[in-house]
Amino acid sequence: MAIGLTHYLVVAAILFTLGVLGIFINRKNVIVIMMSIELILLAVNINLVAFSTHLNDITGQVFALLVLTVAAAEAAIGLAILVVYFRNRGTIAVDDINMMKG
Amino acid sequence: MYQAIVFLPLLGFLIAGCFGRFIGARASEVVTTALLMVSAALSWVAFFQVGFGTGATRIQLMNWMTSGALSVDWALRIDTLTVVMLVVVNSVSALVHLYSIGYMHEDPARPRFFAYLSLFTFAMLMLVTSDNLVQMFFGWEGVGLASYLLIGFWYQKESANAAAIKAFVVNRVGDFGFALGIFLVFVLTGSVAYDAIFAKVGGLGEATFRFLGHDWHALTLAALLLFMGAMGKSAQFLLHTWLPDAMEGPTPVSALIHAATMVTAGVFMVARLSPVFEMAPTALIVVTAIGATTAFFAATIGLVQNDIKRVIAYSTCSQLGYMFVALGVGAYSAGIFHLFTHAFFKALLFLGAGSVIHAMHHEQDIRNMGGLRKHIPFTAAVMAIGTLALTGFPFTAGYFSKDAIIEAAYASKNPAHSFAFLATVIAAFMTSFYSWRLYFLTFEGKARWGADAHSLHEGVEHAGTAAQGGHGHDAEPASAAPHHHDDHGHHGDGHHAPHESPLVMLIPLGLLAIGAVAAGFAFKEAFIGHSYDAFWKGSLFTGQGNTILHDMHEVPKWVVWSPFVMMALGFALAFYMYIVNTGAPRRLAEANPLLYRFLLNKWYFDELYDFLFVRPAKWLGRFLWKTGDGRIIDGLGPDGISARVVDITNRVVRIQTGFVYHYAFAMLIGVAALVTWYLLRGGAH
Amino acid sequence: MNAPFVMPALGPILPELVLAVGALVLVLIGALRGEKSYGLVNGLAFVVLALAAAALVAQPAGKVLVFGDSFSVDGFARIMKAIALLGSAVALVLSVDYLRRENLTRFEYPILIVLATLGMMMMISANDLIALYLGLELQSLAAYVIAAIHRDNVRSSEAGLKYFVLGALSSGMLLYGSSLVYGFAGTVSFPGIAAALQGQSSLGVILGLVFVSAGLAFKISAVPFHMWTPDVYEGAPTPVAAFFAAAPKVAAMAMTVRIFIVAFPGIVGDWRQIVVFISIASMALGAFAAIGQRNIKRLMAYSSIGHVGFALVGLAAGTAQGVNGVIVYMAIYVVMTLGTFAIILGMRRGDTYVETIDDLAGLSRSQPFMAYAFGAILFSLTGIPPLAGFFAKFYVFAAAIEAKLFALAVIGVVTSVVSAYYYLRIVKIMFFDEPAQSFSPLTPALKTVIAVSTIAIALFWLAPAPLVSAANAAARSLF
Repeated sequence: MAIGLTHYLVVAAILFTLGVLGIFINRKNVIVIMMSIELILLAVNINLVAFSTHLNDITGQVFALLVLTVAAAEAAIGLAILVVYFRNRGTIAVDDINMMKG
Repeated sequence: MYQAIVFLPLLGFLIAGCFGRFIGARASEVVTTALLMVSAALSWVAFFQVGFGTGATRIQLMNWMTSGALSVDWALRIDTLTVVMLVVVNSVSALVHLYSIGYMHEDPARPRFFAYLSLFTFAMLMLVTSDNLVQMFFGWEGVGLASYLLIGFWYQKESANAAAIKAFVVNRVGDFGFALGIFLVFVLTGSVAYDAIFAKVGGLGEATFRFLGHDWHALTLAALLLFMGAMGKSAQFLLHTWLPDAMEGPTPVSALIHAATMVTAGVFMVARLSPVFEMAPTALIVVTAIGATTAFFAATIGLVQNDIKRVIAYSTCSQLGYMFVALGVGAYSAGIFHLFTHAFFKALLFLGAGSVIHAMHHEQDIRNMGGLRKHIPFTAAVMAIGTLALTGFPFTAGYFSKDAIIEAAYASKNPAHSFAFLATVIAAFMTSFYSWRLYFLTFEGKARWGADAHSLHEGVEHAGTAAQGGHGHDAEPASAAPHHHDDHGHHGDGHHAPHESPLVMLIPLGLLAIGAVAAGFAFKEAFIGHSYDAFWKGSLFTGQGNTILHDMHEVPKWVVWSPFVMMALGFALAFYMYIVNTGAPRRLAEANPLLYRFLLNKWYFDELYDFLFVRPAKWLGRFLWKTGDGRIIDGLGPDGISARVVDITNRVVRIQTGFVYHYAFAMLIGVAALVTWYLLRGGAH
Repeated sequence: MNAPFVMPALGPILPELVLAVGALVLVLIGALRGEKSYGLVNGLAFVVLALAAAALVAQPAGKVLVFGDSFSVDGFARIMKAIALLGSAVALVLSVDYLRRENLTRFEYPILIVLATLGMMMMISANDLIALYLGLELQSLAAYVIAAIHRDNVRSSEAGLKYFVLGALSSGMLLYGSSLVYGFAGTVSFPGIAAALQGQSSLGVILGLVFVSAGLAFKISAVPFHMWTPDVYEGAPTPVAAFFAAAPKVAAMAMTVRIFIVAFPGIVGDWRQIVVFISIASMALGAFAAIGQRNIKRLMAYSSIGHVGFALVGLAAGTAQGVNGVIVYMAIYVVMTLGTFAIILGMRRGDTYVETIDDLAGLSRSQPFMAYAFGAILFSLTGIPPLAGFFAKFYVFAAAIEAKLFALAVIGVVTSVVSAYYYLRIVKIMFFDEPAQSFSPLTPALKTVIAVSTIAIALFWLAPAPLVSAANAAARSLF
């Protein structure tokens, strides 16, 4: 069975869905949310690279590299904010992030 | 000149209305009266120029509005009919202004009063100079407004407010018909300008208008609707109930608005639209019948009324009926002639009554008068002249105009003409009787006022006192003029001798008396005689088969004599009952209690209307208020919506839980919804 | 690929260069001088923003594409950048006094504002998906940090955390959509996408468009991607909320308009439904949810959601007239928002800032200037003529009616009536309720901002022409 574009797209779609599900099914830990976000970005990268190959166009791969770079920065900032939050509240349980509502 | 005639009263209104507070009462009086005097003088000039020369013209002031096919100009239409009305309106108005300076001198709100008077005059002038139906409607409503304001002038008095509202509401009924009539005319002819309507109306004899599944003769329908407006404004049978109550207003107002001018607006309107009415014979039958009924019916009520102003009010109502009879039988000029002469003698009677009331310190019940001739001889004299003119004593004004109407009614080919003839002749008898009764009770006999009055005044027809409940006297309330008692002393105990009115009130009386004597004689030839065509110059239209003006001069001698005989009989009877045998009225009333009460209560029209319209309307109003407005509109509308908004708000706010995963879920739902939408829509392609 | 390397023309990106270099210099200064350098850095940041604005104004008219057509400098970009720069600069001015009183005088704050502004400028000018993503992330990453700048405040850090998590998710959606669009159109360039689609839409492109729209809607806080807004506005320090409500909204809206109009002009019928949906949802939710609020910052968050909905009405029209409406709307919205937040920052008793609506009770007696200015702004937010807010709504609704979107216009008017309720309730509280404890006097900076914005919205009707004709020209540059 030849592995074609569709397979890559399906895998990416599954990963993306997992990532999204991870964000709102997970009630425990913000770290898991960070990981889910990484998962989403990886799904995107798979998409981009697959399309890039399929289209024989380098742009997609450039895009993927830039996404990786930004994802790193994003993770750094996310963790920093998480640390700040932990210092204030002493918890990073998702259920506890509920000071403001309505 | 015509602009000056029309707009000087407006100027007076604006000055007295806007600046009355600053310039004071005296200045307001002087300004408005002087402007009206100028206007009246110019009116007479115009009258002779246009009536006895050539000068009919049309003055375009501005284009009022244009919307699609509807184009309404603001223009003055000056022809003989207009100048006749100008003379009537401005002369009486000027005299009433002058008279009011004396009559109202105790009232603190004089600037307001004079402003209203001038406003009324302006609106009436707009009405009579109108060049199209919309402009006439403007004036029509303007005089209605002024009438409302003036009837309710003493707004501290509840009965005055009630009377003002009654006048306004009853007139709405008529105005509704008038407005519909204007619409229908516009539908039929595509215009509201008289010239265009008259040009087209000749070709519409067979036109029909489909309404409620039936094809109506369009012009008849239009004429009847327009006449409905006239009935309201001119207080004709069925829509007359407001006029007697309107006597709650100050007496000069009654003289100006509710005798001489505004109430004749209906007559003027029918005459002005004579080309339309001539094409609608059925409508003319209705006009005749209603007019004759009013003439008869109002006269019967006038027989037994005890309030000096109400007697004259019913007399006015009755005389307006005469005018409509004239219009109905096609003798438009006779109707207008009677309008012209009636303005003089009826204004005279009202102002004379005002003078009596003034002399009697606001006593209006003629049972409490008597023997006043010695105290106020001038007033008595002019009242006698007015009464002679009203009853049609030979060579006074009423003699020419009223007799012409009776003759025209006899000579007409209108199916209702014999009824009209009978009604008007009998009404002439009653007119004579009640007019002389009024005169005798007021000025002759023994004084029933003062210290020894009590026993005497018991004696004179007191049978119906109880039945008269519900109609307040129109004495000025103490609160309206707090200082009035200080000036005049006591009100009811009457130790004060009656006194003649000041000169400023007597001059108008004198001038009107001259008019009441001479107006008929002087203008008979022009209005209804041989110079008819030269005078009217086509401003009144008569159809081809309409030979009434010729026929009415060829009636049998007994017809000519009948009104005079009736007048004489009426005088004789009144003389017998109120001078010779003063016990007779009381015995007569006791002998026929039912009839007496029926007449005294004005045929029970107020009670009937109260039962038929007022109570159901109040019930409907209360129903709509409580259930319709309160429960349904407020419940489903403002209150309901605001309650629902709060519900939605609470729900929306509850969605905002504060949990990140709920927020993420909302985003996902959004994306999923949009994706689903596009997938489904894609499938539908 | 042996083409000689050509140095790209840097003239058109001078404003962005100024911001980028300025930010780096400011970082150096901050790093060298330490914590006490806030005052200097803040002043210099303001200078940098002013220089960028000057460079922007000095740019010649016309459309220039640089960096392989991925960066478009046209009339639309210039006017939106001007509005964004204005918003950032005023937000910076508003923050000074607050930061000092709250002991937040860190030099990072102005630098992050400058960086976020740089991100916004890139978003506005982005002409392909990559540039768009980079600009967006630059702006977002800076925004996450300044939302949590009050490190010792639990609300502030919670706001930062929520904003980050949801922002990252939305970026992921945007990226996923971008990858699909890239795959099915074969290019990331906006004009290229338009050319590749040729007016035909495939399911893949539509899916990609939906995901991209979701990401964009998050940035402009349109329903149902708005949930972060109230919490972040409430939790973040007030000047930060002022900043979020003003400049990034403009940039995100500009980005949204550009991607829809330039990249998907042939399939207006397809994306219009998305825009109409989120527009109606935003207007309705903004109107209804705000009624239940007692915290004025939260209320303003819902208000901004509603206003974004109104601006989207113009975009839904999909015409030059509609874009014109969007530009005018955003410009007026920024002025009104900055005025409002200046008032909110004026709600201070001594060193304590208060945020509930009830604190405004009887303001007309204690601080008449503030009360009347706020009253005017609230009437303008409601959209009552002749204030500027009326014209803002008028232009977008006119465009919608022109495009035969009658239902949308009607719903817009109805929701604007509902929204009148909570705006006017504040007016009622200020003017008719028993006075609460009065506020400390306004600082000159606040007073100036309030006065200028009030005058601008009150007198806009005297001279609407400059803004409207500029917006008109700008809108045409996209078509």
